[in-house]
Amino acid sequence: MLLFLQSLLNGILLGGIYAAYSAGFSLIFGVMGVINIFHGEMVMLGAFITYWIFILFHIDPFLTIPFSIISLFIFGYLIQRFVINRVIEAPPMISYILTFGIHLIIAYTALWIWTADFRTVTTSYSGFNANISGIIIPYARLATFGLAIIVVAGLYILLYKSDVGRAIQATAQDKEVARLMGVNVKQIYAITFGIGAAITAIAGSLISTYFIIFPQMGLSYTIMAFCVVVLGGMGYIPGALWGGLILGVVQSLTATYINAGLSGAITFILLFVMLVVRPSGIVGKGIVG
Amino acid sequence: MKRRWSILLTAIIIVLLIAPYSGISGYMVRFLAIIFLWIGKTGCWNIVAGYTGYIDFGPVAYFGIGSYVTGLLMAKAHIPFLFSILLSGAISALIAFPIALPTLRLRGAYFGIATLAFAEAMKQIILEFDQTVGVRFFEGPHGITLPIGPGNVSFYYVGFVIMIAVIGITYWTEGSKFGYALRAIREAEQAAELSGVNTLREKTKAYVISAFFLGIIGGVEAYWLTYITPHMVFDVLITIQMVVMALLGGIGTLLGPAIGASFLTIIYELLHRDFPYTYAIIVGFIVVIVVLLMPRGIVGTLEAKLRA
Repeated sequence: MLLFLQSLLNGILLGGIYAAYSAGFSLIFGVMGVINIFHGEMVMLGAFITYWIFILFHIDPFLTIPFSIISLFIFGYLIQRFVINRVIEAPPMISYILTFGIHLIIAYTALWIWTADFRTVTTSYSGFNANISGIIIPYARLATFGLAIIVVAGLYILLYKSDVGRAIQATAQDKEVARLMGVNVKQIYAITFGIGAAITAIAGSLISTYFIIFPQMGLSYTIMAFCVVVLGGMGYIPGALWGGLILGVVQSLTATYINAGLSGAITFILLFVMLVVRPSGIVGKGIVG
Repeated sequence: MKRRWSILLTAIIIVLLIAPYSGISGYMVRFLAIIFLWIGKTGCWNIVAGYTGYIDFGPVAYFGIGSYVTGLLMAKAHIPFLFSILLSGAISALIAFPIALPTLRLRGAYFGIATLAFAEAMKQIILEFDQTVGVRFFEGPHGITLPIGPGNVSFYYVGFVIMIAVIGITYWTEGSKFGYALRAIREAEQAAELSGVNTLREKTKAYVISAFFLGIIGGVEAYWLTYITPHMVFDVLITIQMVVMALLGGIGTLLGPAIGASFLTIIYELLHRDFPYTYAIIVGFIVVIVVLLMPRGIVGTLEAKLRA
């Protein structure tokens, strides 16, 4: 029973992180219909920003988050504004391939500069745990989970309560009408991408505090974000939370009770079945087709 | 015009047929054989993605299945090579059929993700099968060692035959009713359905044909490499190379995959050994530039120029 509770808790904590780095993917798809293959590279960049600030200036990883947010917002804004916007009217396939090209450029430039070394951010409090009647809760993970939830909630509030959010939603629903209402659609696209990149960078910074980071980590994060977002419903932001939690718990339980190696297989089988049976996601609010 | 093309093509075929005996180096023979096999793989992807517009992100699944079928048959059952690769093709096609029926009902990005998920699931299953079930069959991450094969010249001809077969099938498709159905699906699937095209059947046909040839190519490459692991033959980078090659040459054109695969393999050969990272970065820039400046690829852009 204790083992079950422990692995359930591990799964939930893991799921929070999944949700945090997938929400941006869902946002970008929902608004622009772009499947962003270099999504994982934005996680990687966020993680490396934290890593370098921590190593060079000894600033606490959690305090480096604003730097990640600002850098990646600018990065996302510019890349959408000057590159992706040029093909936004083309068939969706073109944008996958374009973002794939950007993935190659970022991932291999990072590999060239930073080498393939595995790195970690180890703080003075990295190993600290809370022990509640036998169940172990690492503080860093708990803090990360909390921040992840705040990120997803914050994005939700931003989208539904602010003017920019309303403009983004209007653009996502019908960009022609939005344009007629005076929304600068291309500008909104760039802002949306910037926001998506910024929240992904937060997740990247958080991840660096307890996962190994390396320049080529990106693609596996992109694939995982696919899974999370499909499970929760593509383009439906709270769905990222559902998808993340389900995936986290399923993987954790698989690792505990069957075989850690199988958690990958289970994830992809789940994704495949989900797509075939219920492409609109677990709560049925995703965009289909 | 048409006559001139067929003379040119015949000349190229004859030159390629006698090339290994014309005194070119063994390195060159190997290099050309690699190009042939990439043209084959990219051509397979093009049959589905290029003509139906369904962007497949998991063709490597069938390449990997083919590799494993041949690997297991040759290493464990001592079945001859040619028979093994035909079985590889057949089994890939058999697996492709039940996969095609649900996935080809999905649209756009969903189809892409489902196929990617399938390929990754296959890799993970083969990696973990033995340990989970408690047998020694796929050999998990240790991989399978095949008998030592013949020299590069044999693979040159095998690769050549496969390349011609894939291009031939594509050529036949372009002119046939089947090909028109596929293009109708690409342009407007609902309209095609309304005009009496059984869209699911036609899409499935294209997918299964593609899987058949990918299975054969997987078998050939397994025998050539003599050693396979799930990480090697289900590598997502193989899928990515196919997509990029087809894009460069021109998606949905007969010779696009051949041009794109040759071009990229040459760049790879020139850069990869001395500048391993630069190769990927340059490919990235090529992809971005091609998408922004000539989204129809080399062949597609040329065709449009010729017509104008």
